[in-house]
Amino acid sequence: MNDTPPPHPATPQSIINILYREDGDRDKRPVHTIGIAVTGYFTPSPVAPLYSRARHFQPNPTGRGIAAKPGGHRVTVRFSNGSGCKDPHDNWSDVRGMATRFTLPTAKGEPEAHTDLVAMTLTEFFTSTPDAFQDFAWAARPTPYRMERPWRKFLDMLRLTLPLRNPFPGEVISPDAGAIAYADRNDGAKPGVAEAANIGAPVSYLRAAYHAVHTFIVTNKDGLQRPVRFTWQPILGVQTLAPGAVYDTELQQGNGDDYLQDELRATLRNSHGKDHPRFTLMMTLGEAGDDLNDPARAWPPHRKRILMGTLNIEDIVSDPDLHCERLSFNPGLLTDGIALSDDPVLKFRVETYKQSSALRDATPCPFSGKLHDDTQG
Amino acid sequence: MTPKASWLDHFVDGLPQKGWFQFLSRHVVVPFWAWRDPKPKLDGGPRPAPQPGENLQRMMNLVMPLKDPSPMGRAMAAMVVAQNVDEIFAGLDNVGTVHNARFLLLGNNLCMISVYDGDFSNYIRDFIATIGSVFDGIMTLVEGGEALIPTEQHIEQFIDWVHDHDLFQVPDFPTDLFALQDAAAGQTGAAGPQPLRSLPRAMILQFHANPDVSLGGGYRAYPGVSAAQIRKNHDMGW
Repeated sequence: MNDTPPPHPATPQSIINILYREDGDRDKRPVHTIGIAVTGYFTPSPVAPLYSRARHFQPNPTGRGIAAKPGGHRVTVRFSNGSGCKDPHDNWSDVRGMATRFTLPTAKGEPEAHTDLVAMTLTEFFTSTPDAFQDFAWAARPTPYRMERPWRKFLDMLRLTLPLRNPFPGEVISPDAGAIAYADRNDGAKPGVAEAANIGAPVSYLRAAYHAVHTFIVTNKDGLQRPVRFTWQPILGVQTLAPGAVYDTELQQGNGDDYLQDELRATLRNSHGKDHPRFTLMMTLGEAGDDLNDPARAWPPHRKRILMGTLNIEDIVSDPDLHCERLSFNPGLLTDGIALSDDPVLKFRVETYKQSSALRDATPCPFSGKLHDDTQG
Repeated sequence: MTPKASWLDHFVDGLPQKGWFQFLSRHVVVPFWAWRDPKPKLDGGPRPAPQPGENLQRMMNLVMPLKDPSPMGRAMAAMVVAQNVDEIFAGLDNVGTVHNARFLLLGNNLCMISVYDGDFSNYIRDFIATIGSVFDGIMTLVEGGEALIPTEQHIEQFIDWVHDHDLFQVPDFPTDLFALQDAAAGQTGAAGPQPLRSLPRAMILQFHANPDVSLGGGYRAYPGVSAAQIRKNHDMGW
């Protein structure tokens, strides 16, 4: 293995190359490789239009595509495991993802239009800049898992430091050692690495909170702009297994290594077309003094937050390959009323997602050709 | 090949749940590290912040050790509060920046828990100006209180005393504790970043220095809104 880190400045291609794991699949996503897509509808709250003029935050006048749900917007959501491993390993402690594509209302005869919101269970990103992320990703390249010897663990306990965890079932390589070593040297990465190390595994994709971590700028009909961050909160409540805990297959359906997709299918089947699992979309308002452009720094939980709408999950997508694996989400696929902030990582992700999508020959979104223009607004 | 934890691994992993190991930790390990790597007691109350929202709905967790923690002493503390309910309520109305406030008898302490808007010193100053006489009664019952009576004539000392008895608020993001400890110890980070895995030690030793703390800034149903805004929006007329 080449041990020389790529030079700065980081490029999307250099980071994509680093992110692919040896147990991954070059024909799939380099991270968030395992996923499942569902469909549903998003209903904006009555106050959402006060904050953003984006079409998905207005009641849908046409109800197009979801005639039975007036005022709502059709969505496709991909839930995923954060790892780039091509096998599920649902019971491993790992970040999970929730990428949402909103179908925007259009006039008759206009092509379909969309906007995306990409979120994960971590409340902050690992680094503040693309170059730092490249360094982090390089340091955290998965290496053969080396267990800490029992006497070293005992010494850790006597030092009041955290012993290294045991490997998860089936775990051969791990990014932990490199990630922790990087965080030891870089204070800015500590919150993300510490949270990721203890994040555990959700009992269901529907029972986790997902954070978009970056700042976006929303604009209302009067032109008032606000820096904001978004979070999906599950109505079913958050329920997570502690890191290393064994998933209880007696109480839950599915097997220990691969239960999240089965659980999702079973929950949707049992909702019998009503009582759909739901998420609320909460929007936190940034304030003067907040670091708007640092995704590695979460905002304190005391910021004003606004309920922007409710997402109902209805069905698994009909063609998983076409509507899930080949679908390209992008945090820069925006629409008038919501724009990118100056967060350098966010801007970098826009280009990285596009290149990653092209590399795996995914279906570009209908807006991909206009993506650059859209991100300027 | 997947490495597997041996019986010895599982034995060591389970040590923190063993009584003898907890005894060893409590009586030997933690005292040793508290001696070897002492952490200064960190200041109570909310920390200064430029964001407007951080200066609204701030917590005060004032813990005042009773001179006489017996049932008789507690009854006297309860009586001082009960006899002055009108004065306390009217006084807090006059302060105007208080969302809620209550007294507790907890352990061997009389506690005043409140949520207020704005600057801490101004809050205490307004509070003494309006209910100072009640606090004179309370100060006769708590350790170190007599030197501050009458509180109206010892306002600055009283502010310092309250600050000293206000609980340290553990940061909302745990790794921020490293920077708080470094700053309190007069270190500027020149020694380099702290290892991430030493966070448990940092936390344990801080609890040694500040046994009673507030865990984070807490939940707020309507963050970023002042008491005055709520009254105004609900037509309360004051």
